[in-house]
Amino acid sequence: MSLLQEEREIILSNEYVDAFDFAEVAEFVSNASKELFISHHFAKRQKMLVQPRGGFPTYEQQYALYEYFVNANVDVLPLTIDSNTRLNDYATAKKMLRLSEENDMDMLNGYPLVTHGYRTTRKMITHFDKPVSLRHGTPDARLLIETAIASGIFEIEGGPITYLLPYSKNFPLDKAFLYWKYVERVCANYSELNEPINRESFGPLTATLVPPAITIVIQLLEMLLSLEEGVKSFSVSFAQQGSMNQDIVTGAVIKKLARYYAEQIGCGDAAINLVYHQWMGAFPTNQDYADQLINLATVIASMVGADKIITKTRQEATGIPTKEANAKTVADTQYTLRILNGLPNVVDEEEEEILTLEVKAIMEAVFNDPADTLWRKVFNSIKNGIIDVPFSPHIINQNEMITIRDAQKNIRIIERGNVPIPDKCYEYEKAQCDLTKDTTGIVNDIIHDIGIMQ
Amino acid sequence: MKVVTGVVGNDIHVVANRLIDLSLRARGYDVFNLGVNTHLEEFFDAVVETGAEVLMISSLNGEAEGWGREVKLLKSKYKTLDDVIMMIGGNLVVGSGNTEEIMSRYKNYGFDLVCHQVDLNSGLDMLQELLEQRGIS
Repeated sequence: MSLLQEEREIILSNEYVDAFDFAEVAEFVSNASKELFISHHFAKRQKMLVQPRGGFPTYEQQYALYEYFVNANVDVLPLTIDSNTRLNDYATAKKMLRLSEENDMDMLNGYPLVTHGYRTTRKMITHFDKPVSLRHGTPDARLLIETAIASGIFEIEGGPITYLLPYSKNFPLDKAFLYWKYVERVCANYSELNEPINRESFGPLTATLVPPAITIVIQLLEMLLSLEEGVKSFSVSFAQQGSMNQDIVTGAVIKKLARYYAEQIGCGDAAINLVYHQWMGAFPTNQDYADQLINLATVIASMVGADKIITKTRQEATGIPTKEANAKTVADTQYTLRILNGLPNVVDEEEEEILTLEVKAIMEAVFNDPADTLWRKVFNSIKNGIIDVPFSPHIINQNEMITIRDAQKNIRIIERGNVPIPDKCYEYEKAQCDLTKDTTGIVNDIIHDIGIMQ
Repeated sequence: MKVVTGVVGNDIHVVANRLIDLSLRARGYDVFNLGVNTHLEEFFDAVVETGAEVLMISSLNGEAEGWGREVKLLKSKYKTLDDVIMMIGGNLVVGSGNTEEIMSRYKNYGFDLVCHQVDLNSGLDMLQELLEQRGIS
């Protein structure tokens, strides 16, 4: 028996798992409907796929949500996991699920997949016969993704960096890399049985003034960590940044460089897709304005040439949205996509060149780390600040980089910290901003820049 | 002037914490930022360890209300904290409340400066004034 299989048996011999049948699950994946695989839909490239967000505690609620989504002509269904399951606290998830079922009140902020189990969840997923995307935020997702794939969920979001640095203060980053290595290998192995399992990175990170160079570097590194384990279908992603031009430039550079670095490691055969998140920062409380913001994001996603868009709702500012509001966004986004025709092709060569130079310089510094494996190089680079994520709560993050918006609302680096932004690019970024202000002025600008959409 | 700062409890709101850090440094303080998700004992331990003159706690999700009640009891277990200036700011209650009442409640918990929904720079000006009054700025 392989080491991986031994580890899988340990992970799945969990008191919260009802007898995991490896052979039966492999049989299920081998014969599963092609419709369930988002990689199959990406390969057809017919339209930008629309995926909302959403997860409720009980089976019945989740089923009802999916019915609303399907009626709104959804392309990809989400399964958002509750925060107890994300933190591997299955006992609390189980208790809170019971309380949610017994009282007419939600005690969980998502669907406790491990608690429901794959036999139950698979019934729902095969019934709707739509691709489902697993949305979680789990540093140790080993049991969760085993349960997901066994349920018919063939897209797994996340990664060791993007699911840790925005969410955790002190979960050890080195452990996260090793837990995600397991995820990549399991996804790669199942991919040999049918269409590929798609892995997706979480580009929005902290959704707070993250400059595109940092976003792209982390997307590329998580992609490489995944492809080197044998994953054949991967989505890089980023969120609306606040400037249409910066989004278009980011999209162009990330597409070009994802292809370039995949080929560099001999994985040019993998399918690479681009996902765009509608605005992930603070939303306006005025729901009509929220709809306008969502619509604008859909237009930009089209300009960017995204393969999938992940939607928000008009209730974003107030909490977990109702299924009605959530379905409305899906229908609205589909309508906008249908009427958006004849888009101009916008190219900003100067900005593309600057961003490309920045990304390549950081990537080179990561590769030059003396460690022997890629994940250790990346770990060291985060630890020593070669990669620095603005507003990450994690203790390993350097927090030396400072970013603000220029007059066009592009996110600019005005303090690079230890990140090896080439001098030429650094001067260019700073030249776009008014740097005559004192720190109090800059802090006020940052507060303003974070809240631009409100 | 040394300041220990951080966000109390299981509160992960990091943005204000980073801005407090930046602003304090700009005003010339020596900042020991414990970040988000910090428990009361960690704050007091850090003040002892660094010899800080100011402890500045922030809270966004309103958890401070629960923690505030434990300040006096816990502080009494430390011998050297009597002269430390205790400041708290942010959103100090869950939901809404009367600012005057909130202020007097937190003063009773043992805080010298209470900034409920006060903007960052005004709060830091208040700290400056208090330090000057006490002749330690």
